[in-house]
Amino acid sequence: MSDIRNSNPDGEDYEPQIGPASTDAVGLAAGGSAAPLPGEDKSYSQGQLVARRFFRHRGAITSMIVLGVIIVVAFTSIGIGPIPGWWPKDYTLQYDKIGDGAPTWEYPFGQDTGGKDYFSLVMRGTQFSLIIAFAVGIISTVVGTLIGALAGFYRGWIEAILMRITDVFIIIPLLAVAAVLGRMAGDSGIWGLALVLGLVTWTSLARLVRGEVLSLRERDFVLAAQAVGTGAWRIITKHVLPSAVGVIIVSATLSISSAILLETSLSYLGFGVQPPDTSLGTLISEYQAAFTTRPWLFWWPGIMILTIALCVNFIGDGLRDAFDPRQNRTKD
Amino acid sequence: MTTLDISTPGPASATGDAVLSFEGLDVTFKTEFGDVHAVKGIDLEVRPGEVVALVGESGSGKSVTSMTALGLLPRNARINGTVRVGDKTVNALDGKALRDMRGNDVAMVFQEPMTALNPVLTIGDQLTEGLQLHGIAFGKQATARAAELLAMVGIPEPERRLKQYPHELSGGQRQRVVIAMAIACDPKVIIADEPTTALDVTVQAEILDLLRSLKDKLNTGILLITHNMGVVADMADRVAVMLKGDLVETGTADQVLNHPRHEYTKRLLAAVPHLGAGPGQFGDVAAVTAAPEDLPALDLRNLVIEYRRVGKPTFRACDDITLSVAQGEIVGLVGESGSGKSTIAKCALGLIPAASGSVSLLGNDFRKMRGKELKAMRRRIGVVFQDPASSLNPRLPIGDVIAEPLVVHKEGDDKSRRRRVLELLDAVELPRSVYNRYPHELSGGQRQRVSIARALTLDPELLVADEPTSALDVSVQANVLKMFTALQERYKFACLFVSHDLAVIDLLAHRVVVLQNGRIVEQGPREEVLHHPREEYTQRLIAAAPVPEPLEQRRRREARHALLAQLGDDVTELHVEDDYERPQPRQDEGGNASGLGGFMTDAGN
Amino acid sequence: MLKFILRRIGVSALVLLGASFLMYMLVINSGDPLKDLRESNAQNREQLMAQRAELLRLDDSPLERYWDWLSGVLGCFTGNCDLGVTINGVQVLGLTQQAAASSLRLITLATLLAIVVGVALGILTAIRQYSGFDYTITFSAFLFFSLPVFWAATLLKEYAAIQYNNWIAVGQYAPWTIVIAAAVVGFVLQAVLGGSTRRRLVTAGSAFAFVAVVMFVFNALNWWREPTFGLAGVLVVSGAAGVLVTALVTGLRNRRVLYAALTTTVVGVVAYLAFAPLLVNQPSWLLLAGLFVLTLLVSAGIGAAWGGFSRRQAVLVTLVTGVITSLLVVGDILIANWASFLGLKSRPISTIGSQTPNFTGDFWERVLDMGTQIILPTVLLTLVSVATHSRYTRSSMLETLNQDYVRTARSKGLSEREVIVKHAFRNALIPITTIVAFDFAALIGGAVITEQVFGWKGMGALFQDGLNAVDPAPVMAFFLVTGVAAVLMNLVADLAYAALDPRIRR
Repeated sequence: MSDIRNSNPDGEDYEPQIGPASTDAVGLAAGGSAAPLPGEDKSYSQGQLVARRFFRHRGAITSMIVLGVIIVVAFTSIGIGPIPGWWPKDYTLQYDKIGDGAPTWEYPFGQDTGGKDYFSLVMRGTQFSLIIAFAVGIISTVVGTLIGALAGFYRGWIEAILMRITDVFIIIPLLAVAAVLGRMAGDSGIWGLALVLGLVTWTSLARLVRGEVLSLRERDFVLAAQAVGTGAWRIITKHVLPSAVGVIIVSATLSISSAILLETSLSYLGFGVQPPDTSLGTLISEYQAAFTTRPWLFWWPGIMILTIALCVNFIGDGLRDAFDPRQNRTKD
Repeated sequence: MTTLDISTPGPASATGDAVLSFEGLDVTFKTEFGDVHAVKGIDLEVRPGEVVALVGESGSGKSVTSMTALGLLPRNARINGTVRVGDKTVNALDGKALRDMRGNDVAMVFQEPMTALNPVLTIGDQLTEGLQLHGIAFGKQATARAAELLAMVGIPEPERRLKQYPHELSGGQRQRVVIAMAIACDPKVIIADEPTTALDVTVQAEILDLLRSLKDKLNTGILLITHNMGVVADMADRVAVMLKGDLVETGTADQVLNHPRHEYTKRLLAAVPHLGAGPGQFGDVAAVTAAPEDLPALDLRNLVIEYRRVGKPTFRACDDITLSVAQGEIVGLVGESGSGKSTIAKCALGLIPAASGSVSLLGNDFRKMRGKELKAMRRRIGVVFQDPASSLNPRLPIGDVIAEPLVVHKEGDDKSRRRRVLELLDAVELPRSVYNRYPHELSGGQRQRVSIARALTLDPELLVADEPTSALDVSVQANVLKMFTALQERYKFACLFVSHDLAVIDLLAHRVVVLQNGRIVEQGPREEVLHHPREEYTQRLIAAAPVPEPLEQRRRREARHALLAQLGDDVTELHVEDDYERPQPRQDEGGNASGLGGFMTDAGN
Repeated sequence: MLKFILRRIGVSALVLLGASFLMYMLVINSGDPLKDLRESNAQNREQLMAQRAELLRLDDSPLERYWDWLSGVLGCFTGNCDLGVTINGVQVLGLTQQAAASSLRLITLATLLAIVVGVALGILTAIRQYSGFDYTITFSAFLFFSLPVFWAATLLKEYAAIQYNNWIAVGQYAPWTIVIAAAVVGFVLQAVLGGSTRRRLVTAGSAFAFVAVVMFVFNALNWWREPTFGLAGVLVVSGAAGVLVTALVTGLRNRRVLYAALTTTVVGVVAYLAFAPLLVNQPSWLLLAGLFVLTLLVSAGIGAAWGGFSRRQAVLVTLVTGVITSLLVVGDILIANWASFLGLKSRPISTIGSQTPNFTGDFWERVLDMGTQIILPTVLLTLVSVATHSRYTRSSMLETLNQDYVRTARSKGLSEREVIVKHAFRNALIPITTIVAFDFAALIGGAVITEQVFGWKGMGALFQDGLNAVDPAPVMAFFLVTGVAAVLMNLVADLAYAALDPRIRR
């Protein structure tokens, strides 16, 4: 009985000051991961805790590195716009073919049927695919968040109208509406394509954010803010959306990966990137017949798409675990 | 090391060998932040027909202890010591033997009856599966037996209830179903983990009556896990006090509650508000100084609040509510769940609209104000909510949380705001170092102090407090209440204090308003309403609230039973027929489960 | 409940109307329908352009054209459908019927498969969380939904179709193929079933031996080219299936249910004997459908008769067993026809088309032809959806396994199987229904690509050709079919939701 350390008269010392709020079986089963390391006296914001959990996700970190390398190589090798890259060959020029154009030291990805350097072509395609994917990700996230937040926060007729609009977009197969819009925007280059794709892919995020906002607006801290007289805009931006940031970021990541695939599908159907621009989708589409004769023309762009989408998906998974640690049990 | 005084003479009903015993139980959890030593070598036993109360605050390891008896701890738990149920050693059993033991030898009653029952299965399904599993009854017999069990725990129309789903039952009935499930296979011992915490006080009294008659009539041993000293006083034969994984004190209920030896037990008991003891338990409450001609801080007139629901008739949450809070006065709003007390609080804050009637703050009608006027009005009200986990924005550091009202109303500059926040932190007795910390780094009590500080930031004339202490441990609650009375004395704010806990209201409020089903039943000065209630409902409510003293509680219980008899109600008890046969496992229709069925078995514990 | 459904249908109809208007306007503004004629050098260019402008009513306002299209569609309710004509003057209605038949066949099959496989994998990975099996499935799931569909299709064509066709010409496995295949099966099985090291070794060893022996024997019998299954095969496999289903649903201790399942298989086999002449001599889709309904009725009857106190579970078990038995019967007939089918079509899986043109076989051989043609696109479509479903099921399952009522169930002494099947799974299914409905729309999009890759003349082609020609009628027909299918699917999901969750029944 003597080893009761806290025996000063202030009863509150019996509360754990910092650390797992509860040692109940359930709390521990769920990982109790909201708590910082025992004994550490440093202060962590939610964001820092999320980052710590994210960096423990090995798949996500590997994917981060791989994706980083791909982005750096794609943009520095052949340069972008007027800025030249370090790769000596140009994707527009036709070189003398070495043999049947199979990969060599000089042409690591081989040459296409006309003798073009396939490495620089693939890099060019990767650039375009990445730009479109990230632009679409950003646009659809902004639109989806805005619509979802407004619908969830204001309820009533605003919600009814916004959600019916969302339903309209959901009921048209995404590929169909993207194809129609892509065809219309085909002439305005990749930015036009990115814009229209972004404008049709926000629906699932809007629904998610609305659901999240619906539950958040009933939370006590939002009610407390309202009771003080906080304006709607401040409540949405300062109290509601920061708490929904997990859902938003994860969804944004996944929309990037689906945008990559959507763009390649559209380009394959002929409604996406138009020549002379090149994306990974147009490359595969153009060379799929060469599978048996010149397999490298088929493999490289496909592997590129696959790798990028896989990395983005894994990063999304890591973020999901980091933001929502409930299912992230301690391993034994 | 903790020692348990086993030689303490048990009550007369406790006979025979222990049905549940822990010897040197020690549990450690491996978590991603290192090991957590949850239970540190405790000894405890429960004998047949005996109620042993395991008392402690959250995080003391009491729930973990109970789960070891069923072998239900998560896989990251390391268990040392011996746990025995009857003659079985739980931690030596293999999967099959463990499953045979669960439900059959030891059963569990959980805290939250809504989540403890499977929402998609009927009550009948959930009751009969245990019977069939342990080979007690099959088919129609099992159904009949299930109906019998429901009748035993006092659920009317048992046959109809069997076909219903949990959401169609009230909270109290659900808990009765959970108890029926627990006694289905006639276990030797029942572990009740906070069985009444989620229930209203009148329902709590009924469930406790039921549990008491259960041990009397079936001679079942009960390990009662609770943090509520009133429940302990009402139920327990023996009490064990747990603190941070250690047993610090054990003894009979009388010994522990009336003559505590350990510092912690003493402090714990001192922290329990005592219904009937009136104000002054945790600091004096200032008298109301407002003159009758002063405008009331809050004035509700014939207030009606309705919820519109899709596809269903409109629900009237509050009907014809008229009450007022004078300046500097604390009005306690009391009622059970669903009585509409939180709804009234939210309406007084302008968070939900009134269907009719008026809400006036210091003479200004809330419903007639718009825009700037409304915003200016809002700065004169502060609010404290119940759940410390959700009342603070998890993304903002404490300093920002408390300064938020100043920012919203564009008061002062960064420097003056900081000064005000630090001042408030001092006032709510929090270290200034929490300024840069985040809510998740604070304990529940600390968070609630932050909530109160935020409510006081703008020096409001009215504070609306919606169950501000009900989510807190009792010693934390005492500290928060102490601080609250001190602050009220200092700032002289009027307060609408919503609570289901009559003892808290008794020590705090000047006047009390009792609500039932959205209507006011009784209101008046505290002494009158709480000590000389006129209305039947108030009498029931007060009679059902337990006090933390065994003898007094026994008197109160008998008085309550007398009151019930006088009102023409039955006292809840287990209905056991004279020819009641103890269920015996019998040979079932088939052999053992084959390997095919077993292919998922090792995924368990 | 009925009111709720009617309300949902009403809202869906409005949404459908809005979407159709949006789609129509977008399509007619997506390009210049006269582009090809403007660039042509034909003599009668002006005349052709005028003709087409007349046909597409380019001079009328878009609203009028939309209204016209809409009234034609609304005519479907009164029995005279008019979906307009294509740019070449063909009636779209006829085109749509053909296209929808083949597309919906593909999509429905893929959806069903994806649900079964995806949900099963999701449950297994949730139970074996953080095992090697879990990691493998998780990684595969990510891989599959990162796959560009048409790229994977090319791979499938090469490795699953062309190389299989080359191999079946001989139809013998090389010894090392057998060893590798058996080893893979053994390894996978032990990972799925888990247990102690010893149990894993036993599982892997026996699986390895079984597969290897079977494959060698089949080689010796030239089974791959001339396979037989036979009555005994049907009886044994459907009996095993009955036992497995019983074990999963109620556990084998419940003898009544087990006997009910076994009775179903025996009755099924006897019925097979009785109907064999009819099935072999005068097969038709109508007959198959009729027999299937009969199977369901008889199975349910057997379950109800045997069930006793666990009637509901018994009926469920006998229904599932009955369906499995009937599938096995059909499988048996198809297998018996395989050799003659190979005789007609020596390279069984061709990479183009939904059926072989001018194929001259009897009923069963035509079924085999359609079957082999649908395999690859289905696999492709299914993979992506399986990935989604398995992930959702896994997380939904993990969520429910953490719930209090699961703890209650365990505290009653239920086995892990009962906890999972009876308590966790039913609850986990509730959110999954919504996901399945949503995923259906994505599947339709995937089907457009898949049809294009495999040269199916389905809804995808209708859409793509229409859009290329800026021809609204076929594009809108595509939209109509997919939109209505999506609405129906959502309705089914709503009903399933209500069936699964008593809390929202009204």
